[in-house]
Amino acid sequence: MSVSHHLTDETLHDYATGGLNAAMETLVACHLTVCSHCRARAGMADDVGGGLFDRLEPVTPRVSALDLIARAAHSTDSPEADTVRSNGKSDHGNVVEGVPRPLGRLLPAPLEQLRWRRVAPGIKQYKLDDKHRRDGAFQLLHLAPGAVLSEHSHNDRELTYLVQGSYRDSIGRFQVGDIADLDGSIEHQPVVDSDMPCIALIATQSPVNYSGMIGKIMQPFVGI
Amino acid sequence: MALRKRMGDNLLAIGRDRDEAAFADFYNYYAGRVKSFLMGKGMSDEISDELMQEIMLIVWRRAESYDPAKAAASTWLFTIARNRRIDYLRGNSRIEVELEDEMLDVDSDESETQAGFVDAEQAAERLHRALEKLPQEQRQVMHLSYFRGQSHGDIAQWLDLPIGTVKSRIRLAMQAVRSSLKDENNAAPVKESGSPIND
Ligand SMILES: [Zn+2]
Repeated sequence: MSVSHHLTDETLHDYATGGLNAAMETLVACHLTVCSHCRARAGMADDVGGGLFDRLEPVTPRVSALDLIARAAHSTDSPEADTVRSNGKSDHGNVVEGVPRPLGRLLPAPLEQLRWRRVAPGIKQYKLDDKHRRDGAFQLLHLAPGAVLSEHSHNDRELTYLVQGSYRDSIGRFQVGDIADLDGSIEHQPVVDSDMPCIALIATQSPVNYSGMIGKIMQPFVGI
Repeated sequence: MALRKRMGDNLLAIGRDRDEAAFADFYNYYAGRVKSFLMGKGMSDEISDELMQEIMLIVWRRAESYDPAKAAASTWLFTIARNRRIDYLRGNSRIEVELEDEMLDVDSDESETQAGFVDAEQAAERLHRALEKLPQEQRQVMHLSYFRGQSHGDIAQWLDLPIGTVKSRIRLAMQAVRSSLKDENNAAPVKESGSPIND
């Protein structure tokens, strides 16, 4: 996969420090799945965390190392549970062809068979897990060939990952695997520019008025 | 640095032999730092201690998954601690790249991370020196973002700085670290979307 739009340093830093919400984490992990360049940069951000970790001022633990091991030997906890949870890698969930697994795990069906909700001519929406709504919006948008979104900017940070198809805006052309990592200052007007439906995964960071945001992004007209 | 090598060797010994002395050495150095990290992120002493014990038990049970060619011991531990804290707060797992994903782009993985370095230890040494050389104000902001604040807004408030200043210090620090690692490893600059090429 040839990826030409990448994550910003700021987003990678926030991913490394654990400062992103689950929606944004998922989206970042999708890009890292297909982009070895950003994966190396994310690894560097982890390395910085490791390097700084050595400088932390320790706080005295309540138990000794050997007491901890001795207690663990007698406990009935399954050691398996630790790693599965701590790595965020689990066996459950779907493998959806053509979709990176961090997203695929959230989808009950292949892309075209999802229960899309039509929100405007040529534009359908699929909301992902409601629990993400607390700290931001998380959704897939399905844009018909030729669809144009109204020109808009974002009050909050917004990340877009291109799952299928392509679009073009003032920043450039976005294809599968690309990231649009926008801060609030950028105005853009995406236009679907191929004859295949364009599917984008979109996550916002901070609490937003969900319906308000949809209203703003979606006052689209279709047809160029 | 001898300490980093020793901690890496400890993990290898734990993974290979469940070596209790190696674990004790690792624990005596890192347990208090893991606890410090959790408390700094706002958890109580009691919960931090419990979670620290869980994290150190992951080290004890899963040390064989540590690969010294990929990361320093401190990086491996930091990512476990970070992820375990998020799991605890969220009641759900942190979302990470799954290395067995069939879409994984593996082409340039090794070349991008390791090219130009004799080994991970040398890379860690360079990184360490780059962190040493950071201006105090940048190092402070990095420390706070990794180990204290929840957001750039928190940090800005604590330091009584505009949020833009916090963000630019973080960006400068990341660039400084990256360029120090790239001295012998001239990768082409890559465009970040939504921002001009600034590195
Ligand atoms: Zn990338």
